[in-house]
Amino acid sequence: MALLESISGSVPKSATASPNENVIVVRGLTKVFKDFWGRPKARAVDNVDFEVRRGEVFGLLGPNGSGKSTTVKMLLGLLYPTKGHIEVFNHSPRHVATKSRIGYLPEESYLYRYLNSGETLDFFGNLFDLPAKERAKRSEQLLEMVGLGSVQSRVVGEFSKGMQRRIGLAQALINDPDLVILDEPTAGLDPIGCREVKDLILALARRGKTVILSSHLLADVEDVCDRVVIYYGGKIQAMGTLKELLATPDVVRITTPPLPRESMERVLALIRKDVAEEKIRIDNPTQNLESYFLGVVQRARQSDAATSGATSGGRVAEYLRGDENVEGSLAGTNRVLERLTLTGAGATSGSEKMPDAAPAPTVQSSKLEALTKPLEKPEAQPNQAEAPKVEDLEKANQKLSDLLNKKK
Amino acid sequence: MKKIWAITVLTLRAAVRFRLVWVLGLLLVGSVVLLPLLIKDDGTARGFTQILLTYTLSAITGLLGISTLWLACGVLARDIEESQIQMVVVKPVSRWQIWLGKWLGIVILNAVLLALSGVSVYGLLLYRAQKLPPNEQAILRNEVLVARNSLKEPTVDFAPFVEERLQKLLKENPTAQVDVAQLRRQLTEQFKASEQIVDTGQARRWQIDLGFRKLTLKDQPLFVRTKFIAAQTNASGTYPIFWEIGPTNGLRQPFRMSLAPETFHEFVIAPNLFDDKGVLTIDMLNYNETALLFTLEDGLEVLYREGGFGLNFARGLGIIFCWLALMTTLGLTAGSFLSFPVAAFLSIGFLIVGSSSSVLSQTLEEGSIMGVNHDTGVADKKSAVDYVALPVFAGLLKVVNLVQDFSPVEALSSGRSITWGVLGLAVVQIVFLMGGVIAAIGMVVFSRRELAAAQSNS
Repeated sequence: MALLESISGSVPKSATASPNENVIVVRGLTKVFKDFWGRPKARAVDNVDFEVRRGEVFGLLGPNGSGKSTTVKMLLGLLYPTKGHIEVFNHSPRHVATKSRIGYLPEESYLYRYLNSGETLDFFGNLFDLPAKERAKRSEQLLEMVGLGSVQSRVVGEFSKGMQRRIGLAQALINDPDLVILDEPTAGLDPIGCREVKDLILALARRGKTVILSSHLLADVEDVCDRVVIYYGGKIQAMGTLKELLATPDVVRITTPPLPRESMERVLALIRKDVAEEKIRIDNPTQNLESYFLGVVQRARQSDAATSGATSGGRVAEYLRGDENVEGSLAGTNRVLERLTLTGAGATSGSEKMPDAAPAPTVQSSKLEALTKPLEKPEAQPNQAEAPKVEDLEKANQKLSDLLNKKK
Repeated sequence: MKKIWAITVLTLRAAVRFRLVWVLGLLLVGSVVLLPLLIKDDGTARGFTQILLTYTLSAITGLLGISTLWLACGVLARDIEESQIQMVVVKPVSRWQIWLGKWLGIVILNAVLLALSGVSVYGLLLYRAQKLPPNEQAILRNEVLVARNSLKEPTVDFAPFVEERLQKLLKENPTAQVDVAQLRRQLTEQFKASEQIVDTGQARRWQIDLGFRKLTLKDQPLFVRTKFIAAQTNASGTYPIFWEIGPTNGLRQPFRMSLAPETFHEFVIAPNLFDDKGVLTIDMLNYNETALLFTLEDGLEVLYREGGFGLNFARGLGIIFCWLALMTTLGLTAGSFLSFPVAAFLSIGFLIVGSSSSVLSQTLEEGSIMGVNHDTGVADKKSAVDYVALPVFAGLLKVVNLVQDFSPVEALSSGRSITWGVLGLAVVQIVFLMGGVIAAIGMVVFSRRELAAAQSNS
C-alpha cells in the first residue's frame, strides 16, 4: 500500500503511524449561522462528535440541508465553528501546512472559467509547490484518468457540468493527498463516471488514504464506505460501520446455478422441515441497473462507438494507484470498468462493501457450516423465471441505448 | 513565492482572457492619440506641451485609476461570491499570499498599461514637436522638455515680529479691550502684506541664494517665473514692470515688460548674473498707478535646468504608478470584506474624499464648517460641531496630503524637475505608509473571515 511514498516527495507523509490513528477528531462541534445583527438564524450543526480513522472511507449521509456540507467546510477551515473542537492531522483546520495533505472536491465545481483544464491543474499544482515536471506529469495522468485528456485546451467554462466535476476531482488529487474530502462527488456525473469515482475511492482506500464522502445518494455511500454517520437536522442520528447498520441477521440467502427440478425439490423438502412454507422466498437475483448499464456501455465501446463528450474511463492515475509494481501485469489492462468485475469477484480490500447484487457473492464453505441452522432458499421453477428476465433485459437495453444516443 | 506568483499569473490571465486588457489598451491609446487632436493648442511650445501632457496624462491617470479600482474591487470579491476562493484557500497557501498575489497581478497590469501609454505620449510629443516653428522648438528644448528645479526666497517666519509688536501694542494700551488672538491674526496679515505688496512707484528686491549650485549653474541660462495680482484693473489689462537683475555692484541686466496679472510669466536671463557668493538679486519697480501683489508662495521663483526630460517623464509616471498601486490596495481591501458593488461604492467614496483636500484645508483655515464672516475671512465663533469636525478634518487632510502632495502632471507640463528624492518620497508615503496600512487591514480581514456561505450560492 505504501509503495508510492517516493513519488509524492513534496507531500509530508507522517501518516505511517498506527492503523487506528485518528485523522480527524470532532468534538462538540456546533455551527450557528447568524444574521446581520448577530441573531442566531439557523443551527446547522449541533453538538456533533465523531472521528475518522486513517485508511477508512467515511460517509457523511443525510438529506439536503442536514449539515453535511457545513461540517465539511468546517473541517476545511472555510467556516469557523461556533462551538466545539476540530483536529485534522492533529492541527487546527486553519493550519496552512496541513492542507498539503488534503484534497477537496466541493459540492459544486468552482473553477476559474477562463482557464483550460491543463492550466487549471497546473495552477492548483503550483499552490502545492510541485515542481514543473511533476505538475505536468500528474496533470496528464489525472486528465487521462478523468477522461478529459482529449479536451485539454478547451476552457473549462465551456465544459458541461459533468466534465467540470471531473476536473474538480482531478484537482483534488493533484497533491496525492492523504485525506480526500469529497462533497457530493458523483453529482452531475453519468453512471460510468459515478462508477469510476467509486472505484477511485476504493483504490485510494487500498493505498491507505483516508476518504470522507458526503452524499445523499445512498447507493454511492453503500458501495464504498466503511463507516457512516447519518445526519438529520444538524445532529448525528446514527453512526457505525455499514455491516453493523445494515446486517439483517435473521435472514440467509444462498445462490446457486440453476438446479435440476428434483434436487430443488429435495432441498426445499429439507428446509420445510425447519421453517414454515410462507417464510421461504425463491427468486432470481437481478443485477441492479448500474451494473447492467455499465455492461451495455462496455459492449458499445468494444464495438468502437464515437463520442464527443468526456471519453469515459481512463485508468486511475499512475501516481495515485501506487500498486503498479504488484499488479504490473495488470497495469496494461487495468481499465476501470474491467477492474470493476475483478473487484466484484473478490478484491474487496478488507471490508464488507462491494458492488451489490449482480455477481452473486461466492459461497464459502466455512460460512455455510457456520450457518447450518438458518434456512436456505433454493430456486424453484428456474425455467419460469428465465423468460420474463430476458424480456426485461431487452426493454432496459432499448431504454439505455436511447438514452446514450440522445446524450451523445 | 511560487504560490504568490501562481495567483498573480491567474489574475493577469483573467484580465487578458476577459479582454479587459485590450479594451483598456485601446482606450488609453485612443486618449493619447485622439485627445490632443481634438483640443487646439495656441501654437506655442508651452501651450502645446501643456495641452498634450496635461490632458493625456490626466486622461491616462483617470482611466487607469477607475479601471484599477474596479478591477481590484472585483478580483477578490468576485472570487468569494462565486466561491472559487474555496478551492484556493483549502490548498497550503496562506491567505495573505493570495491577497498579495492578486495585488501583484493588478499592479503588474497597471505597470504594463502605464508604460505603454507613457511611451505613446512621449513618442507623440516628440513627433508633434517637429511641426512647431523653429523658434518655438528652441523654447521647447530649453524650457519645456527639460527637468528644471526652482529656488525661492527663504520663507520668513513672522511669528517673532508679530509677537514683539503685539506685546508692544498691549503695553501701550493696557486698558483696551481686545481679542488677543484676533489681533495676532491681523498683525500677521499686516506683516505678510508688507512683504507682498509693492505700491505705486515702489521697488521690491528678491535675493535668492543659489548656494553650492553656483558652481554647476555657471554659464547656464536661468529662468524667472513670476505671477502677480493687481489691486485695480486698468484699461489695457497689462501692467508695465521694470526689472533689473544682477549683482548690486556689477553689471545688471534690465528688462522692461508689460505683463498680465494672475498668470505665470517666464523669461530667460543671461548666465552668471549672480554674485561671488552665489546670490542672485532681482529688483522690480512698479511704475503703475496701482499696487501690485506678489504672493510669498508663487510671486517669484528662479528656475534652473537640472536634467533631461526623458528621465523626468519616467519619474513622473512613477508617481502616477504609486497612485495606481494605492488604488489597487484600496480596492482589494474593500473587496476583502464587502461584495463587489459595495466595495466599488466605498472606494469611490474614498476617492472623492481624497480629491477634496482643498475643501478640507479651506474649512480648517476658516475655523468652522459653518458660515464665515466675510470681512475677516474667518468664522466669528465656533459651533459645537466644529469641535468634532475640525480635528477630524485636520487628521483627514494630513492623511490625504500624504498622497496629494505630489503633482507629477503639472510638474511635467511646466518642465519642472521631479527628483529621485520626490519619487522616493512618493513610494514611501503612498505605497508603503498609506498603502501598507490599508493592505494590512485588508489582509487581516481576509485572513479572519469565513469564506463559505451557509448554502452554496451559485
